[in-house]
Amino acid sequence: MTDAAAAVARRWRHLDKSVFVWLLLIALLLLLVINPLARLLWASFQHPETGAFTLENYAAAYGRWRHIEALINSLVIGLAVAGLCTVFGVPMAWAVSRTDMPGKGLVWAAVLGTFIMPNYLGAVAWILMAGPNAGWLNRAYTALTGAAAGPFNVYSMTGLVLVIACYSFPYMFVFTRSALDLISSEMEDAASTLGAGALRTTLRVTLPLALPAMMGAFIVEFLEAIALFGAPALIALPARFQVMTTMLWQMFEFPPRVQVAAAYSMPLLLITVFLFWIQYRLIARKGYVALTGKGGERRLVRLGPWRWALLGYCLFVTSLSFFVPMLVVLQAAFARAWGRGFSLDNLTLRNLRFVLIDQPATRAATLNTFVYAAAASLIAVGLALAIAYIVARRLVPLGRVLTYIAMAPFVIPGIVLAIGFYAAYTAKPLVLYGTAWILILAFATRFLPIAYTNADAALRSINPELEDAARILGGGRLLALRRVVGPLLRRGLAGAFILVFIPATRELSSAIFLYTTGTQVLSVLLFDKSDEGNFEVLSSMGLILVVVTVALVLVGFRVVGRDFLLRRTAS
Amino acid sequence: MAVTRILLVAVLAVLFLVGAPGAPAVAFDGEKALHEAAKKEKELTWYTAHYNSETAAAICQGFEKKYPGVKCNYVRTTAQVAYQRLAQDQKAGIAQASVISSTDQSHYTKMKQDGWLQPYRPKNLTELVDAFRSFNDPDDLFVATAAGLVLITYNTSVVSPSEAPKKWTDLTEPKWKGKVSIGHPGFSGYVGTWVVQMRKLYGWDYFKKLELNKPRIGRSINDTVTMLNAKESIVAAGPAATTLESKSKGNPLAVVYPEDGAILMVSASAILKNAPAPNAAKLLMEYLLSREGNEVMVQQYQDPVNKHVKPMAGGKSIAEVKTIRPSAAEIEKGIPEVKEQFRETFGI
Repeated sequence: MTDAAAAVARRWRHLDKSVFVWLLLIALLLLLVINPLARLLWASFQHPETGAFTLENYAAAYGRWRHIEALINSLVIGLAVAGLCTVFGVPMAWAVSRTDMPGKGLVWAAVLGTFIMPNYLGAVAWILMAGPNAGWLNRAYTALTGAAAGPFNVYSMTGLVLVIACYSFPYMFVFTRSALDLISSEMEDAASTLGAGALRTTLRVTLPLALPAMMGAFIVEFLEAIALFGAPALIALPARFQVMTTMLWQMFEFPPRVQVAAAYSMPLLLITVFLFWIQYRLIARKGYVALTGKGGERRLVRLGPWRWALLGYCLFVTSLSFFVPMLVVLQAAFARAWGRGFSLDNLTLRNLRFVLIDQPATRAATLNTFVYAAAASLIAVGLALAIAYIVARRLVPLGRVLTYIAMAPFVIPGIVLAIGFYAAYTAKPLVLYGTAWILILAFATRFLPIAYTNADAALRSINPELEDAARILGGGRLLALRRVVGPLLRRGLAGAFILVFIPATRELSSAIFLYTTGTQVLSVLLFDKSDEGNFEVLSSMGLILVVVTVALVLVGFRVVGRDFLLRRTAS
Repeated sequence: MAVTRILLVAVLAVLFLVGAPGAPAVAFDGEKALHEAAKKEKELTWYTAHYNSETAAAICQGFEKKYPGVKCNYVRTTAQVAYQRLAQDQKAGIAQASVISSTDQSHYTKMKQDGWLQPYRPKNLTELVDAFRSFNDPDDLFVATAAGLVLITYNTSVVSPSEAPKKWTDLTEPKWKGKVSIGHPGFSGYVGTWVVQMRKLYGWDYFKKLELNKPRIGRSINDTVTMLNAKESIVAAGPAATTLESKSKGNPLAVVYPEDGAILMVSASAILKNAPAPNAAKLLMEYLLSREGNEVMVQQYQDPVNKHVKPMAGGKSIAEVKTIRPSAAEIEKGIPEVKEQFRETFGI
């Protein structure tokens, strides 16, 4: 053996082999995200007919005040929704995680139910509750006060913000809660020792420690709100204003102007980058490491009589988002004619029978929905964890760029992203259109940001010293990951899985352009029902989606362990 | 599994027995040979925007019953989505659908122009309602297979028959302020056709006056049914079939055939040039025009296109009603124009 060869062999022996794993995963990320987005970017500069380079699409997209106004509406809604979600989600998360509030299981179940309910189903229920002419709330108000008209109007900007917030606050709840669960009481004890009261401790110590998670959730809420199509189509149009997604839908009318739509959605990428830059600036200089090797103790804050007030608040929010809308859906699903309201002779199983038996598509779609969602969640969580780890431990230069790439899919509305996927997966080398894989990869890509935000927050809370200890003792990086980081993250990752799985079961906007006859999913069937004027059958299918998802998630909790559902925080 | 299958067959059999009482089966020339050829293809995929999924399912079930050995897969969606999907398939070179049924006239012109369709003159064309013949393509690339009406609809628990609007102009009366529901021409071909026809009859002023009543604007024309059932609106420009179907379940709805004319929508179907199952496609076209096929449609509150089939109970036959509609050319030219005017007047 020559010296040179020996040197190579020696270097090889000392090289951390895990680097190849990282490179492979980065390549996968680029393939999943950059490929469709690059094609979209390219389309935005492409002349629809000749394919030549042009700026016309941008002129068409931004040349009209109506289009700009819609964009502004979306930004306002996004901010308002994210703000309202904070008001809804943070106190509930704190109550469930850190206090002795009663009824935690009920609150958690209601939040889960809210998260599972598709927003377009919730929006229809809200129209019934807060319609300005005949909404139940308004009728109750006029009956009580004798006023001519009630004060509630779902057909307004406020109404839309409320409805969207109702169906997206679970992100805030889950992100904040998992961060709070990790904070040990020692930090709070330090504050109490120095004379701070319970309230002051919570506001100045506990909640600030959960800030990275809350900010991650805030951004997710914002992006979710501006990319939503279902609820705005049902509420914004009758309220006479447009948002970005309803405007995009018009661009897909005949003849479809895909290139203009691509141009219209491009600047949102800049907004996302800006938001993450702010988050980075705000938290960069402070330490948020909460999980260290030293076993911390977590005690519940005793609230005394206030615990009932807090429970009241939790039940109020979940009534708005889950209990009352679910009542409306149940009534319609079992009604012969839902316009007749509640009465015994109006009850029927006909709608459910049609959905389950007469319409063969439902069973196949139900199976597809859950298989695809599970596969997509596995891919998204695995990839997100790897990328977050690469970024957090600075394993490659320019790691922060990977963060932007992993978060990018969230900001492109699903409807436009679908066009990118379509362009990417009908051309060589990956021809996936017509197979289940195009949906699985599309879902995985679309929800990668949720998985990433979660994985990132979870990783941030782990002190790198823990792995360093393993490595000092001679373990490689992969061993440290498997034996130290993995077990510490298991709960967080199970949470991330559920957080991707649930929206994937109800994902509509990308599915609608990517399914083919053999690969229909429930959301597409539901959407097709939503403009058929047949609310009885729509509700039945929505009910099936909700019931099956709840059942699967509960089975999932069983498998992960009861600890995941209701962590015993008292020592 | 076996039990569900037996149940399914039993339910289908009952549905069929109830659904098609005594419709005499009339064979057409070469039906047997076409059926044999279709059997070899095993199944066909049908993109349809003509009806709701219940009707599409019922028609497919009827088709499979009449032509055993040929499976009918429907993909029911809105016209715009159906076209978008088809365009994707064509671009990707994927042959998925064999038959397309859109409600947007301009789709057919474009598909014909782009050479996506193959000609076929159904043998059952002789049974087509005479008034619909003018909608068929002279080159046999597409044929009228569905008809529907846009009517005035209302909620009977709030509005009495005598109070209900009698003609389209009544919807602009101040007493309906805040209580009218309509769809959006940017989403629905039915609404687009209605708007073009109203503009033709009364000028754009009609919509300026209607705007004073602050109508509740949904997407699809079917959204008016939801609005009426919720009592959020109490009168509407709505679809005959979906409203009557909802009424048949016991919802408090009724329809008015306007004195100045119900808007007639006639929609075509076509066979795709790259159809993976061309013979099954031809068979489906025959079925859509046949008596059995139309009996099934009528059971689902659709208007028949076969002249020997009577319309559903509670609804009037298109022949008895005063109908109006713009010509194909007026629709094609008019819809893009009214979409723009509509957005200007209503702000969305």
